[in-house]
Amino acid sequence: MNCRLTRWAPILLTVAFYAGPLPAADALSKDLTSTIALLGLPCGQVVSSRRLGENDYLATCKNKMRYRVFVDAKGRVVAQRQ
Amino acid sequence: MQETPPPAVKIDVPAPKVEPSAAKIESPAPKTDGPATKVPAKAAAPPPPAEKPPMKESVAAAPVKSPTLDLALLEKRLKETSAIGVFTKLTLKNQVDDLLNRFRAHYEGRAKTTLADLRQPYDLLILKVLALLQDGDPSLARAITDSREAIWSILADPARFKTL
Repeated sequence: MNCRLTRWAPILLTVAFYAGPLPAADALSKDLTSTIALLGLPCGQVVSSRRLGENDYLATCKNKMRYRVFVDAKGRVVAQRQ
Repeated sequence: MQETPPPAVKIDVPAPKVEPSAAKIESPAPKTDGPATKVPAKAAAPPPPAEKPPMKESVAAAPVKSPTLDLALLEKRLKETSAIGVFTKLTLKNQVDDLLNRFRAHYEGRAKTTLADLRQPYDLLILKVLALLQDGDPSLARAITDSREAIWSILADPARFKTL
């Protein structure tokens, strides 16, 4: 049992490493893309994002534009062009 | 109390768009089915190909499908769906709130908008929601499509709007 676990562990870890974060990042990019589009701002598609804080992201779009997307004190989602 | 507007009625005539609320039915335009070339001397009206029943005035009052609207359930499903991300949901909520504020301003006489003016942003918002849901949660998208007119009938009725 132990032997089997040690044999599979590296494989599972590798799969988790490569497969795990991808969907989450993809979902976030999709979320930010939809948000920026809903706010009527030009972007196309978010290609990368960086977390700046709680509910605060810096999104880079396919058209090279960058937006800081965050929730303001009133609970409104704001996309600020950087 | 305002009635639920009847479903948009398609009219063959390439005429200016009819407002959905005023689904006006024109009498079936007597198609001048005059094949210019082969008109026999005898003006016997050739029988129409399939004896179409004449369009009745009552088409406008066609039974409006009245889906049982459960706003709370729709709201719950929207909140819980995984087809839309958190930021997107929050943005949509902001836009719904903005639209509701416009209705409120309209009913309180603070804005010079008409209901017809508010129909367009309502439709646009519904379309945005549908676009976001149609791939990830098609059943919810369908439920919203089915409830579209019922929701509008609430918004367009000041008494029912107050209960929201």
